[in-house]
Amino acid sequence: MRDAEPAYRRWFLVRGGDFAKAGAAACEIKELLKELGFDAATIRRTAIVSYEAEMNVIMYAREARLDLTVTPGEVRLTVDDRGPGIPDVGMALSEGFSTATAEMRELGFGAGMGLPNIRRNADAFDIDTEVGRGTRLDIAIRPDGRAP
Amino acid sequence: MTAPGRTFHSIHIVRDKCIGCVHCMQACPTRAIRVVDGKARIIDSLCIDCAECLRVCPYGAIHSRTTSFDALEAFDYKVAIPSTVVYCQFGPPATPHEILSALRRAGFDEAYDVSAVSELNTAATGEYLNEHPRPRPFITSTCPVVVRLIQRRYPALCGQILPIEPPREIAAKILRTRLPESLGLPSGRIGIVHITPCPAKMVSINSPASLARSYLDGAISVRDIFPQVRQALRQGGEDAPAGHFFSTALFSGVGMGWPLSGGEARGLKNHRAVAVSGIRDTMRVLDEVEAGLLQDIDLLECMVCPDGCVGGPLAVENRFLAKSRILKLLADTGDQAVVDQEDALRLYHRDFLSFGHPVEPAEPRPLDPDPVRAIRKARLREAMFARLPRRDCGVCGAPDCRTLADDIARGLARLEDCPFVAPAEAAAPPAGAAPARKPKEKKEEKR
Repeated sequence: MRDAEPAYRRWFLVRGGDFAKAGAAACEIKELLKELGFDAATIRRTAIVSYEAEMNVIMYAREARLDLTVTPGEVRLTVDDRGPGIPDVGMALSEGFSTATAEMRELGFGAGMGLPNIRRNADAFDIDTEVGRGTRLDIAIRPDGRAP
Repeated sequence: MTAPGRTFHSIHIVRDKCIGCVHCMQACPTRAIRVVDGKARIIDSLCIDCAECLRVCPYGAIHSRTTSFDALEAFDYKVAIPSTVVYCQFGPPATPHEILSALRRAGFDEAYDVSAVSELNTAATGEYLNEHPRPRPFITSTCPVVVRLIQRRYPALCGQILPIEPPREIAAKILRTRLPESLGLPSGRIGIVHITPCPAKMVSINSPASLARSYLDGAISVRDIFPQVRQALRQGGEDAPAGHFFSTALFSGVGMGWPLSGGEARGLKNHRAVAVSGIRDTMRVLDEVEAGLLQDIDLLECMVCPDGCVGGPLAVENRFLAKSRILKLLADTGDQAVVDQEDALRLYHRDFLSFGHPVEPAEPRPLDPDPVRAIRKARLREAMFARLPRRDCGVCGAPDCRTLADDIARGLARLEDCPFVAPAEAAAPPAGAAPARKPKEKKEEKR
């Protein structure tokens, strides 16, 4: 069976607290986009978005499934985590707001740029969160989309 | 010299000595080596001349092309610009001054100390960072391997390479403007070479990434010139003042530490700098920069050799001893500055120290130029990888199973190249993958 516009799909399991593997999924995604021939700006935006999304899981959630779907016209990323959820999404989306612990900050994270940075670099951004259950991000980046 | 359009490479396999083992292939950070028909081959477009392969080859089958001293016979006047690494290759009491004199006794008409020019570069770097608040971080370009690594693997970071020429080029440029007049010789009759522990300097001279043409005529390896210099040091003899770029005939404390990791960053007083050394760590940090990290850092100093140039593969002295000697020299010179800051800024604002042109990304190497076919090939690659044993043994001729799967998807290898895949199994098409095809002719430029 051959689809009209073939999609490349891949998923990654990201575990909360796994700082040793911080950025591993984002790095693989970035390499993949280079091999698929995407332009530098799209690769850059995807690298930033996937890194921030992966780090959010590592810092706050228990675990998440990160689903990547690539077609020539779009890079789609969904991150579905089991975690604490976000009580005030509006606040979390404002730049500089962070709930990072001192330990996280010591590692150089938690500048309060995560979610705003994701939204700024994405062409489509949707967030669905429930306190006590988890957060689901749905992100799309398009090669012809706006530059951040 | 190389044909137009083809990049010069210093690193080469000596086929007669190569026995086809897997050491070099598995040490290669860009997975540029394959073993084909019992001999290692380097894929030109992937090689960054880092010489990791040269370091690990047990059979001396990897060679680097550098300039021979005899080649300088073609010039009427021969000038050496030794890397400050040369100062730490000979035991005490050989001082930098004596080493420069020994180079003259070994056959150069003049040998110039580069530490002052390094200081000039530091001043220009500080001013450039002041004038350009974004992007962050800028990445130093002194290590030619870092520049080539960025062009190939981090093309989006090309614009973050600090566009100031390294001291070796600036030093040669200064001499090209001064010597023809003072000697009454055309520039073409004056041979200016760098003396270096680094094979990749030859690449930046023959295929510059940021200049139309290098100001240097070649690079002699420390290893090749070492015996003559040692001999000349032992003999002693005339001790005329060595060549200096600035009127104060002193060595620069700011520039002396450049061959050590952190040495470039050390002279910057008002900027935040981070120094990285070693090829794997450099790649790890560049991955982070590409993901948007380290934006609070002004300058990222990257050197692919361990501990910096002092760990260059063509040095003679072990890098630990060499490092301790440089640190001693640094303690002696302190922060001694020999460059007039106003002169430095004048040169900087005249663009005398700048890149000739920006560093451009290398030709990308997608799985397929057509995006739809590239996605199909990525899926095929995944299907192939699922059938490989993940032992990463290298017997197939690729460094690991993932790279073999990639080669198969690109039509450069076959599943049956893997000794663990049974021939009957290899013939069966994998579920959901494109039908098996005959591999295409191996197209890539190899050497």
